[in-house]
Amino acid sequence: MKFKVTDSENISTVFLNGEIDMDIADDVREVIFPLIDSGKEVHLNLKDVQYMDSSGISVIVESSKRAKDKNTKIELKEVSQPVEKVLAMARKFL
Amino acid sequence: MNTEVADPTNLSEKKDFLVRSSSLKDVRSFSREVFEKFKIDENLREELVLAIAEAAQNIVKHAYKDYPDTQDRMAVRISCTGKELEIAFFDKGKPVEESKVKHRPIDDVKPGGLGTFFIQEIMDSIKFKEGDKPWINNLVLTKKL
Repeated sequence: MKFKVTDSENISTVFLNGEIDMDIADDVREVIFPLIDSGKEVHLNLKDVQYMDSSGISVIVESSKRAKDKNTKIELKEVSQPVEKVLAMARKFL
Repeated sequence: MNTEVADPTNLSEKKDFLVRSSSLKDVRSFSREVFEKFKIDENLREELVLAIAEAAQNIVKHAYKDYPDTQDRMAVRISCTGKELEIAFFDKGKPVEESKVKHRPIDDVKPGGLGTFFIQEIMDSIKFKEGDKPWINNLVLTKKL
């Protein structure tokens, strides 16, 4: 699965879309991790994500930890309502 | 998809899926179709879809951990009595060790248990049973409506 990526100075924005589950999670990692490893700040635009499960949340958590290790950061942008609901539930656990 | 009982106060639908991650979207589609048919509260539907998908994912990730290319199928049955929803999962994978999937103490959290946590948050009860032949595992989730 391909995701649109835009660059502005040292920030890369990844536009995720559709349903992010275990089957898609590795595709998302393959896009985000190299950007983090290159030292860029990564913004994940989630406005077009209709569904996200624990695998998607795991990608966000892993990305955040990886970014911290690389002295950069991950930010979530335009979080859709379905994703916000899952994030709220995940915050009780993490 | 087979409707087992036509009585609108006692509906049941069952479908089987190949045990692999690419089947998860089909599990979600089946669940959404059934909830539409059963006229389940729209505010509840996507939470239930998440719980079902997480349980199916656990079968792929754990019960079939060492068999990624299996041709085995898992079955999902959704039943509604009007007051309660019961969702049953059947698989022929490694027997579930219930102690490994129970809710952990709050100071013992690990990211890997997030899917199970979601199921616990959304559903009212979770029961692991031995499956009747040919099944090995039978997970039953319930939710009062």
